[in-house]
Amino acid sequence: MTNYVIETSDLIKDHTSPFLRKKFRALDRVTIRVPEGQTYGLLGLNGAGKTTFLKLLLGLLKVTDGQVSVFGHEPGSPKALARIGFLPESPYFYSHLTAQEFLDLVGKLFGMNGKTRKAKSLELLAMVSMAEHAKRPLRKYSKGMLQRLGLAQSLMNDPDILFWDEPTSGLDPIGRRDVRQIILKLKSQGKTIFFNSHLLPDVNEVCDHVGILHRGRLIGEKAITDSAGTGRYQDLEKYFLETIAQADQSRSANS
Amino acid sequence: MFSGLGAIALNTFRETVRDRILYAFVLFAFLFTLAGIILGSLSIGQNERILQDMGLAVISMIGGIIAIFLGTNLVYKEIDRRTIYLILTKPIARWQFVLGKYLGLSFCIFVVTGLMGIFLVGLLAVFGAEVKALVLVAQAIGLIYLELLFVIAVATFFSTFATPLMSVLFTLAIWLIGHMSQALLELSKLSQANTSDAACIPSCTKLGQVMYWIVPDLAKLTQVRYELISLRPVDCEILFYLITYILAYIIFLLLLSTLVTEQREFS
Ligand SMILES: Nc1ncnc2c1ncn2[C@@H]1O[C@H](COP(=O)(O)OP(=O)(O)O)[C@@H](O)[C@H]1O
Ligand SMILES: [Mg+2]
Repeated sequence: MTNYVIETSDLIKDHTSPFLRKKFRALDRVTIRVPEGQTYGLLGLNGAGKTTFLKLLLGLLKVTDGQVSVFGHEPGSPKALARIGFLPESPYFYSHLTAQEFLDLVGKLFGMNGKTRKAKSLELLAMVSMAEHAKRPLRKYSKGMLQRLGLAQSLMNDPDILFWDEPTSGLDPIGRRDVRQIILKLKSQGKTIFFNSHLLPDVNEVCDHVGILHRGRLIGEKAITDSAGTGRYQDLEKYFLETIAQADQSRSANS
Repeated sequence: MFSGLGAIALNTFRETVRDRILYAFVLFAFLFTLAGIILGSLSIGQNERILQDMGLAVISMIGGIIAIFLGTNLVYKEIDRRTIYLILTKPIARWQFVLGKYLGLSFCIFVVTGLMGIFLVGLLAVFGAEVKALVLVAQAIGLIYLELLFVIAVATFFSTFATPLMSVLFTLAIWLIGHMSQALLELSKLSQANTSDAACIPSCTKLGQVMYWIVPDLAKLTQVRYELISLRPVDCEILFYLITYILAYIIFLLLLSTLVTEQREFS
């Protein structure tokens, strides 16, 4: 029996604006299952609903209808959160802290002891090439530096699953290469990785499985099993564009 | 469980003490008290009393401004600046988040009122006040802090769903009603007595009574404080009663804040 880390079935999310009293369906009957150890890339254009999906898995948003569980737990429950490493889209931090202080805070929230917190934060800061900036206040950080710190904090608790929202956004080419290498390393440790992206090359190199989200619907899913890794990018781009074009076509045919 | 709570409290405390605005307020307080000394030395014989009254007024005013200003931003700022995403996705309960924020700010204001209080009591001692009088003044400062704890809780509650400007208005309104609740009740009784008046009277009566029951009677605090600064000792029992009375309200407000934080979405 396969062990699913993430399971959603017919997940629906309506955003309601209190002033307009209008409903906007951001996710429409989305069913996704991610087995343990898989690297899953959720692709989609801007506004497709990728971030909304992650926020539902984390309990930051409430489900309108359908089922969702993470490690069999309710989203947002401390038991699930203890095993998750989350990187929000363009992460925001407390400007009054330094990188090391922030990682220490994160460690405390995970209930780690002082010694482990110190060792882990130094290790992670070195991993994302931020060791020399460890003691600088975060308000002086560039966007790319914040992104690196965001990655580091998501690994503080040695999580079993990573929820990364656009992990390579705002990074320079070296940063993007670093992220790919980190993902490959985590993969080799057997971690489950779930990330959102619209950058196909990044997804192509590291994912086992991709899903395409378009206007709130999961319009395609595909395993990328080619282990040689050659020529995959062309295929993925073609697959992505064709699937979206098809969906738009049948949409306009129906209306 | 407490490591998460403590971490949030410490972080909140750090954030406030690393904010320059706090020092501006404290400097303001010292300048005011200095003005009190000068005023006091101009009048004859009464220095001590003027200094004491002025000092206590400054402490409660500066404390109140900081409590309202920082309290109404407490949870709102975390949502607005999106730092909350990185906190609420960690394995802590929402009540730990709310209580941690509250305790962090309360501790900051404890330090500020404490420092201003020590400064005032020290000055009074220099001016030759008796130890007995100093103890009563210290008790009055304690009551000011008790009231501030309530104000912070009100502000925290509003900050979980309203913008700071709205929260400031709401908090000030509650604070004001708290000080006039006795008057409100009397007013409602009065209007009950002559019901022959206008049609709006019954609803006014209701509103007055509801307000009286919802909002704590802060005027009691003021009365006791007046006794203390007139250098008349107050029963321990009364002080104890006041503390439990206000604490009950604080716990209630924090429960409400937790409820709102649990129900709301963070998008
Ligand atoms: N709080 C919200 N209220 C109303 N609409 C929202 C809200 N959050 C997101 N949306 C809408 O939902 C859709 C999906 O957004 P999002 O999940 O952020 O997309 P993505 O991450 O794929 O770019 C967008 O059209 C966006 O405008
Ligand atoms: Mg997004």
